[in-house]
Amino acid sequence: MTVIKSKNNKNTGEKVGEKINGFHKNGFVNHKLVSVDETCIDKNGSIESNQDINNQYKRDENFKESFEQPTLITACLTYLGFYLLMIIGYINQLFFVPKVATEKNRDDYVPLFAAFESFYLRYVYRRVKDCWNRPICSCPADTVTLKDRVTKDYGWTFEFTGTETKCLNLGSYNYLGFAQNKGPCADDAIESIHKYGIATYSPRRELGTNALHTELEKLTAEFLGVEDAIVFGMGFATNALNLPSLLSPGCLVISDEKNHASIILGLRLSGATIKVYKHNNTHHLEKVIQQAIVNGQPNGKPWKKILIILEGVFSMEGSIVKLPEIIEIKKKYGAFIYLDEAHSIGATGNHGRGVCDFYGINPKDVDILMGTFTKSFGSAGGYIGGSKSLISFLRANSHAHCYASSMAPAVTQQILTSMKIIMGLDGTNEGKKRIDQLARNTRYFRKRLAQIGVITYGHEDSPVVPMLVYLFSKIGAVVRTLTKRQIAVVGAGFPATPIMEGRIRFCLSAAHTKEQLDYALQVIDEIGDSLGLKYSRKPRDLNQIEY
Amino acid sequence: MIKSLLNAVLKFINYWIYRYLLVTELYMTEPWERVTIHVFLFLIFLVQFAFNYSVLLPFTARLFNFQIVT
Repeated sequence: MTVIKSKNNKNTGEKVGEKINGFHKNGFVNHKLVSVDETCIDKNGSIESNQDINNQYKRDENFKESFEQPTLITACLTYLGFYLLMIIGYINQLFFVPKVATEKNRDDYVPLFAAFESFYLRYVYRRVKDCWNRPICSCPADTVTLKDRVTKDYGWTFEFTGTETKCLNLGSYNYLGFAQNKGPCADDAIESIHKYGIATYSPRRELGTNALHTELEKLTAEFLGVEDAIVFGMGFATNALNLPSLLSPGCLVISDEKNHASIILGLRLSGATIKVYKHNNTHHLEKVIQQAIVNGQPNGKPWKKILIILEGVFSMEGSIVKLPEIIEIKKKYGAFIYLDEAHSIGATGNHGRGVCDFYGINPKDVDILMGTFTKSFGSAGGYIGGSKSLISFLRANSHAHCYASSMAPAVTQQILTSMKIIMGLDGTNEGKKRIDQLARNTRYFRKRLAQIGVITYGHEDSPVVPMLVYLFSKIGAVVRTLTKRQIAVVGAGFPATPIMEGRIRFCLSAAHTKEQLDYALQVIDEIGDSLGLKYSRKPRDLNQIEY
Repeated sequence: MIKSLLNAVLKFINYWIYRYLLVTELYMTEPWERVTIHVFLFLIFLVQFAFNYSVLLPFTARLFNFQIVT
């Protein structure tokens, strides 16, 4: 029996975009389009056998991601609002030139500020600037205390009012709740200061390595399931300074569209050729690799090496990378994978070991495992894990290892204690409890948000939940209203996100209790009505969601 | 009773003015900019009204063989 691929999904009665060969157009990605024993006529009229379609889609069934697009009216109004804002900005700039725009004593010099960036900074960002860079005065655990500020001249200057607001903290990267100033981690860190001092005062290759670093490297390697690991003092610098050591001109790098700024900086610094593939789209990745291998370098020689750079959990989208398929592609074409697990280490997987644990993949399949200790371990710094030869190479050739000051003892001890708790080596099941609590919180929060009717992006298991609000004024309004209701969140607009997709990002934590989440969801429901945030057109589950 | 009715109407109007300010991004502008854009949008509305009255209405009436008698 042959059928034409229908637009309407059999299983759900809603409007779904067409999915042809893995690319989805408007609508959310749904994966149960074809049943088992039918052959299909695809868009070009050729008959495809169902077996390879099923193989393509079978694994997609496990990916529970959604990137719902808004209605046409919302998109149009967003653009119109932005154009109005630009018109207002130009009129403002024409009549009232701000003090910073006039540059004195700079005749015959190139202007200091780039035109569009400075315009955006002064006439769009400045108006809602009170929602960012908010100073805190307590430990950013499950609640945080914000210092209140007011601006009397629309964002040019700020003054402190002297009062403080204690808010529920939905903005800190505190996935496993280790951001505490009391408890075993804090006690161990204080003891390590007594023993080793405040800082190491030296790079690793001079006098900056102490017993804690060696222990941490061994423990990290055991945690990840790889042969060896190397740690650095700064997470951003781990990417930016190690990619130039691993790559050189003549290498090809294929990086995801939405990779972090540290990766992009490191790649540009290295001088390798960079090709970008569409976010989490394995078909496009395969096409790009095929083209690159066929064409080779611009001078005709084959590429020295091909490296695919991914992130475990993307911090602005909340999506989880499709690792099994990409590992298949890598084995087929002989490429290497560099996996940046900054947000996923500790936060995903049954045992908190990251994306490899989440999918049940052998970590030795991924060539370079990179991550940071900033998010789940409550500390600072980064690591790279992999084979012994890779780590020995990095110990000899990495810029961050040779020149950057090494990790301070208290910071190292915090990671050691928290990692031991997560692995269960301290004898309690505190680590497992935290991982389970985080997973439970994530599922509950995402399901409740879908029930409320706001659009959220990403995989249903990722603890990063971006809620789309599309307009700058709504980002400002939501952040201000939530602060008044004692919830602290982070809003994200251009240039961190595409210009029409402003979002509010919730970072869930194992430290949040159900009551706190319920309060936050109730406030979000009220705000969704009063500010008009309920853009979702998916059918809403009206049953009570269990925790 | 009239007071509660009036309050309800005012609440309704305030809510929708707030939504209008948010959608057109006038929420984060200064008062003089808001007045300018209100005037600008009102002028566009008047132009649209004039266009509908003088061009669109007779045209669509003619399509349905419907004479407008004033």
